Amino acid sequence: MRADNLAREIGAELCSAGAGEMAEIERVYAGDRMSDLLHEVDDHTLLVTNLAHRVLIRPIELVDVAGICLLNGATADPELVAAAAEHGAVVMVSPDGMYETCGRLYAALEGRKAGESRR
Amino acid sequence: MNSATYSIAGGDYENGGAASKRLKAILKKVGADPKAIRRAMVAAYEAEMNTVIHARGGRMRVAVDASQVDVVVEDEGPGIPHIGQAMVEGYSTAPPEARELGFGAGMGLPNIQRNSDRFSLRSTPGQGTQVHFTVYLTPQTAAGAAVNSVAIAPDRCRQCLRCLAACPTGAIRVREGGPRILEHLCIDCTSCTAACDAGALGLGADAGRERDAETVLVVPGAFLAQFGPGAGPEQVLAACEELGFARVRVLDAWEAALQKAVWAYAQDESEVHPVLAPVCPAVLNLIRLRFPSLLGHVAPFLTPWEAAREECEAARMTAVAACPAQRTVLSTPGLLTRLDVVSPAALYNELHARLGTDAAAVPPQAGRQASACDALQVSGIRHVVKVLDELEDGQMPDCAVLELFACDEGCFGSPAWTEDAFVARHRHERSAVVPVDGAAGAVRRTRPLTPRGGLRLDVDMGRAIEKLARIDALTRALPGRDCGACGAPTCAALAEDVVLGQTDVRACIHLEPGPLEIPV
Ligand code: SF4
Ligand code: SF4
Repeated sequence: MRADNLAREIGAELCSAGAGEMAEIERVYAGDRMSDLLHEVDDHTLLVTNLAHRVLIRPIELVDVAGICLLNGATADPELVAAAAEHGAVVMVSPDGMYETCGRLYAALEGRKAGESRR
Repeated sequence: MNSATYSIAGGDYENGGAASKRLKAILKKVGADPKAIRRAMVAAYEAEMNTVIHARGGRMRVAVDASQVDVVVEDEGPGIPHIGQAMVEGYSTAPPEARELGFGAGMGLPNIQRNSDRFSLRSTPGQGTQVHFTVYLTPQTAAGAAVNSVAIAPDRCRQCLRCLAACPTGAIRVREGGPRILEHLCIDCTSCTAACDAGALGLGADAGRERDAETVLVVPGAFLAQFGPGAGPEQVLAACEELGFARVRVLDAWEAALQKAVWAYAQDESEVHPVLAPVCPAVLNLIRLRFPSLLGHVAPFLTPWEAAREECEAARMTAVAACPAQRTVLSTPGLLTRLDVVSPAALYNELHARLGTDAAAVPPQAGRQASACDALQVSGIRHVVKVLDELEDGQMPDCAVLELFACDEGCFGSPAWTEDAFVARHRHERSAVVPVDGAAGAVRRTRPLTPRGGLRLDVDMGRAIEKLARIDALTRALPGRDCGACGAPTCAALAEDVVLGQTDVRACIHLEPGPLEIPV
């Protein structure tokens, strides 16, 4: 699902403007350990994390993260948003915590897949 | 080639990742594949953050060419007391402030390993840690490392078939056009080289390489014992030092370090006994191919040559390989240290000229200390196979450590040398070129040795099973003399070759004319 549509479906706010919003998100990885996040990055994975916004700048710069979803209605650090815009990554902020956010993401992505296969 | 060095400040979380970012800029400039860049970045960033978190500071050295990127991250930090533990996922000694930022989950080193094609880690408690990794930028580089290195000169072959009988793995076929080695079976043991009087199977010759003040020469101890009774290892070493290299080092230093580390491992760490020492790369190949159930007995260290290479900090290293197996382990290219592997012959003439030929007796020196560990040395491929067979059957030899060498008398028996194995060994043992080389250490193997797959008869399993049945049937139809006249070492090997379409069954000289009856 396209990142901007996905954000809308889960009620998250999009913070970065640019090409990243068009990224096709196929899977989600949620975690608060940097190594895990780095290990899971690919062109179609949205990372969901509680990690501090500034440490997330590096992964965006270094490993071409497709997208990051911040939690609990946080205010995204402007530098993070700028780095995301520069590197074509999408940043969104979910009003909820990790559990609820992941639930919504799951419903949005898997529900749609199930719908497709039924068709 | 591009190379650069970046410094890394300890404790500076804000700027952690800056060095990796600069490396990324280089990789993008050379047009590396985005997936390869991502792997290199995960590894580089993890290594960089390790320095930021654990050390006072350090540096990242990088070298990039079209095929690979080599990175060394070295720090001045507390070092890692237990490398084995540090490689276990989840093990971490990071401070709380690092953990708050999402670091120090104990996944850093395993992550570097997963995202690189070669990886090694060295650490001295109290001094620092060095992480060295390589990421291949093209699939070709990944596939490029040699599997074996026996050089074939087909026109020298006299079709005497001695090599067929000598090869312990049945890897040779001698047909029109000379000998052929089946790559998936050859373990680089040099048995065929030793058996071939015609010189059709050898080490290959190297052109003389350049040497300069940046090149370190590393020679096996046995090399120093090849120059006749008039030139003891001390003299030969001195002559090597005049050849114009920056420094000459003897592989014995790494062998001794490995021996010590393996002994400590056998006493304190290993859960299986006896422990197999990873000294001879041909023996490791044999275990991977024929005795994979014994891989757990092999102590987790790099072979001496691999360790020497990892530890070499010079820009270039010239390695005198004693055998094809050593050549093979050195065959993966490195950028931070350029490696030239040469055969002993490349230096013989020059050294002989320096040493002269007069055999004025060299007084025996103090000699070496016998090692304090309970190690059983077994040499010669037939003996090695027998011992491994017994071990696999559960018969434990009464020793703590087994040092197995494919060649008779260990590396002294390689067919690469000019001196007889016993003569050279004696000369070496009574010399005083004892490795007093503090810089040489044992290097932990971070990626476990894996079984080496044989040949798959067919990509399709159903067809492979069918082929297996045909090979079986055909083997029974053949006379079973294993005479080798067909060019294959055994009747079963010929049957396999026939079913795989590589030769005709009529290569067997014992078959009656007329159609062949194959029982099924
Ligand atoms: S030993 Fe093998 S390669 Fe050498 S001459 Fe005899 S048949 Fe040829
Ligand atoms: S090197 Fe050893 S394994 Fe390889 S072909 Fe020769 S005898 Fe066989």
